[in-house]
Amino acid sequence: MGEPTVDPRRKLAKLPTGSEVEITRPDGRTWHGILVPATEFSAENVVVLKLATGYNVGLAITERDVLTVIERARRPRTSKPSGPVAISPPPPATPWVALLTTGGTIASRVDYQTGGVKPVRDEREILESFPALDAEGPVRVVPVFERFSEDIVPSDWVALAEKIGESFRQGARGVVIAHGTDTMGYTAAALSFMVRDPPGPVVLVGAQRSPDRPSSDGFTNLPAAIHLARTGDLGEVVVVMHDGVSDDRFTIHRGSRVRKMHSSRRDAFESRNAPPLGHIEGKRIQLGSEARRPSGSPIRVDTRLDARAALVTYYPGLSPIRLRRFVRADRGLVLAGTGLGHVSRLHIRALRRLITNGLIVAMTTQCLGGGTDPFVYSTGRELVREGVVYLDDLLPETAYAKMLWALGQADDPARVRALLLEDIAGEFVHRRRLEGGP
Amino acid sequence: MKAGLEVHQQLATRKLFCPCPSELSEEVEGTVRRRLRATGGELRALDPAAAFESALGQSFVYEVVPTSCLVELDEEPPHAINAEALDVALTVALLLHATPIDEILVMRKLVVDGSNTSGFQRTALVAVNGWVEVGGHRVAIDTICLEEDAARKVSETGGEVRYRLDRLGIPLVEVATGPDLTSPEQVREVAQAIGALLRSTQRVRRGIGTIREDLNLSIEGGTRVELKGVQELRLLPKYSREEIARQEMLLRAKEELHRRGAKPPSGGPVDVSDLLRDAGPGPVASSLKKGGVVLAAPLPGFHGLLGRSAEPGPRLGRELADYARSVGVRGILHSDELPSEGVEASHVEAIRHRLSLAPQDAFALVASTDAAQALGALQRVIGRAALAWAGVPPETRDPLPDGTSRYSRPLPGRDRMYPETDVPPVTLSVDHLTALGRRLPERPEETRERIRGQYALSNEVAGVLLREGEADRFEALVRKGHAPALVVRLLTHDLPALAAVPRAEPMSEASETVLDTILTAWEKGQFAKEGVQPMLEGVLVHGRSLVEAASSAGLAPMSRPELEAIVEGVLDRNDALWRARGKAAQSPLMGDVMREVRGRRDGKEVAEVLEKALVRRLEGLGGAR
Ligand SMILES: [Zn+2]
Repeated sequence: MGEPTVDPRRKLAKLPTGSEVEITRPDGRTWHGILVPATEFSAENVVVLKLATGYNVGLAITERDVLTVIERARRPRTSKPSGPVAISPPPPATPWVALLTTGGTIASRVDYQTGGVKPVRDEREILESFPALDAEGPVRVVPVFERFSEDIVPSDWVALAEKIGESFRQGARGVVIAHGTDTMGYTAAALSFMVRDPPGPVVLVGAQRSPDRPSSDGFTNLPAAIHLARTGDLGEVVVVMHDGVSDDRFTIHRGSRVRKMHSSRRDAFESRNAPPLGHIEGKRIQLGSEARRPSGSPIRVDTRLDARAALVTYYPGLSPIRLRRFVRADRGLVLAGTGLGHVSRLHIRALRRLITNGLIVAMTTQCLGGGTDPFVYSTGRELVREGVVYLDDLLPETAYAKMLWALGQADDPARVRALLLEDIAGEFVHRRRLEGGP
Repeated sequence: MKAGLEVHQQLATRKLFCPCPSELSEEVEGTVRRRLRATGGELRALDPAAAFESALGQSFVYEVVPTSCLVELDEEPPHAINAEALDVALTVALLLHATPIDEILVMRKLVVDGSNTSGFQRTALVAVNGWVEVGGHRVAIDTICLEEDAARKVSETGGEVRYRLDRLGIPLVEVATGPDLTSPEQVREVAQAIGALLRSTQRVRRGIGTIREDLNLSIEGGTRVELKGVQELRLLPKYSREEIARQEMLLRAKEELHRRGAKPPSGGPVDVSDLLRDAGPGPVASSLKKGGVVLAAPLPGFHGLLGRSAEPGPRLGRELADYARSVGVRGILHSDELPSEGVEASHVEAIRHRLSLAPQDAFALVASTDAAQALGALQRVIGRAALAWAGVPPETRDPLPDGTSRYSRPLPGRDRMYPETDVPPVTLSVDHLTALGRRLPERPEETRERIRGQYALSNEVAGVLLREGEADRFEALVRKGHAPALVVRLLTHDLPALAAVPRAEPMSEASETVLDTILTAWEKGQFAKEGVQPMLEGVLVHGRSLVEAASSAGLAPMSRPELEAIVEGVLDRNDALWRARGKAAQSPLMGDVMREVRGRRDGKEVAEVLEKALVRRLEGLGGAR
């Protein structure tokens, strides 16, 4: 038993979380519990106690409260793995899968005291959350970086591309990248251009529900992704996510055609303009004829990127001055134009000047479905005459990733333009069919 | 006995974490299939109940209804806590003299039986340390919580459980008493008092299933056992008495096991299929015929302790069978009940011999076409038998309609909660609490006194209206212009009588509009008081429209000429009677007429019409005699 203190607020501020305390309120009621971190939204003087019943309560502490420290925590309590999980080193004959982690919620563990989520760092931790993940064969966890999806930058794509190459060179059958879902489409597109002719599947997967909930989609889509990486007859970069809101069917999307189309649903990812490459149901992998099989050529990893480019969605009222200021330091600009690929006629002269000065301007459509076409309306005809590159049905994000890659490959604007229009990873659909809707 | 109650009341606001209406629905728009996973570390550390549920490896099917959105499907984060529902919970807290928490934090309570799509129930402690006065005693109210209701279980077949999303997310106020209740009757009285207080807020849902009680009960030497989800409040004393008897039985068995010096079972199940090839008709023979197995497990020291199903009262054998059923078998056979079900005395001897049993030992049999299932069932039986040495195992039990209960799962651990990080905390301001305190609703006892005076009701009638939770509906209907006496009769006599009508589906709640319409029709003389009951039954039990109910109860409004025609017909057929007995024939004839009128006109009016017609005929004879 500690001694009651006179200044509860100052004492509490110094007390580590996990300490056991008693607080006697001015009304005479005594609260007994474990000190846990307050939330980001808690009022300033609020202290949060975890009661014996499991409930957390927030107490607004004033100088009239009396604090008794029952037991001071030695260091902040963290949930520890409850026991060693045996992981067999991959025998040379067994096909193994590299699981690259990036800090996305899918490969993370929850701290049940704070409710916070922490990334996993090794096989033991991932097998705690996914006990049967290595049932079919070994999985090697390779932490690449720890970042929220929205914090990922193009240099992280480079790090991932290098690890993919390294994994295959070490003999991995396939590579799975556990990635936050917000920018997974951008990463998938960039890797599609940077990693060519992979000898096995490169599978990006993420969770729309974090694994701190028993309902996380990661519990079913990560095993599906690993299964595809281990056994799939596939040699390209893909995204595997839920097909619908049920947990029993998954869709294989081409990395350069996929987009997150919903902020929260587990079936948020969609292949645009063409059907997905295939599906996974249980252990059955069904791949359509469009899916690229391993080519047999050696893998090529080219990590040259030039990030001096911008992606701008045109909107009514966007002024040429504002646009020009935005791209001042850039070599490339991807516009997500309206409809078939338009911006206001007011921009035509300004764009002409930018292009003359060396800026490469590419046009996509903010409709996110269908192709661009400069020849239907006069604005488009004028834009194409000024040198704007129309990228047909490339998604704006894919076009942005491709722009960075193309700028990294060549200095000559004509060469960059040619690369933009070349089909590198099956990113163009060109032949769009009625099925699937808009 | 020592008991505590948790009263769960649904609120009539929108849902707790989304703007969906708190309404049940019969319109299924589609289904979604899910799996839930409580991960390794967390299971071992946190909760035996969750481990038990997760180990079952079930898949869950959810029925999507118009009263659900992406939040119920766990396809969208929860919205901020419903401020209106929180105000109701705080109002209840103030009515119970409890102290609200300064900053309310929403927690996730791990529940992986599928009843929550997320795998947890969201719940927040709102206030603590209150009391309610019942029968002159103060009963402590430990906690008042606000939580979301679970999805409604529709069916359970094989490894698949089907839920409907309509109930998921409906706000529940949970009021928990201290473990201070000491008699079965007190349990009911306290539940009624808390129920009346909750209803006084006028923001609660009504009808079967909208208020549910969890009863925690232990006796001296026993253990806390939770009966979860009692819907029939009047059965609370019966549940209490049955649970006391059950715990007493378990303690007697414990004592006897120790007295016999028996040791918990150590051997595993043994295949005895070969000994039972010639068993007579019964579960054993039918399993073996389908290529199944019969496994036996020794229960050392249990001879005579398991009980026979013909005997009244709780039996240890049934407890063992309930554990076996939780893995899907239909039941067990045990030696205290054998020979029976086609198992002969010679079989029993052979099994006892195979298991090397002493005279004080018993055994249990499970017959199944699935050997693994039979093995699992018997392992559970052995596990439960081992608990008999400790007396009463801590359990969650399901209440059954006959007042007994059945094992459902282990009692949840204490630590199955962690913070709901998706929902920001709510800091309660002193101003807001003061404002709520100023507009507290009328307390039940105040309402009773007021309506007693205002509508000239007897003390007893006012008390019944309050206890049955009908005071607000009584007032609403009286305000619509109905006579208080008629409304009282409808609410305290006709409506409760419907509970006895056998039905397959739960009865739908009588809306004020329906009651208003029925009362109006009654007052207009479209049917007599005898017609009220069939009308209510038609509408509420059989789900008919008012017009359909009236016609199927033979209560289609009857016109005056129709009534007169019936009267003339009866007089025609009873010519001799009225000619012989004159005016004295009215009373025997009245019975015949009423049988044909069947409540479609008031009895008094029928008598008038009959009298008039009779007199007219007698006058036609040349003057009344
Ligand atoms: Zn909803």
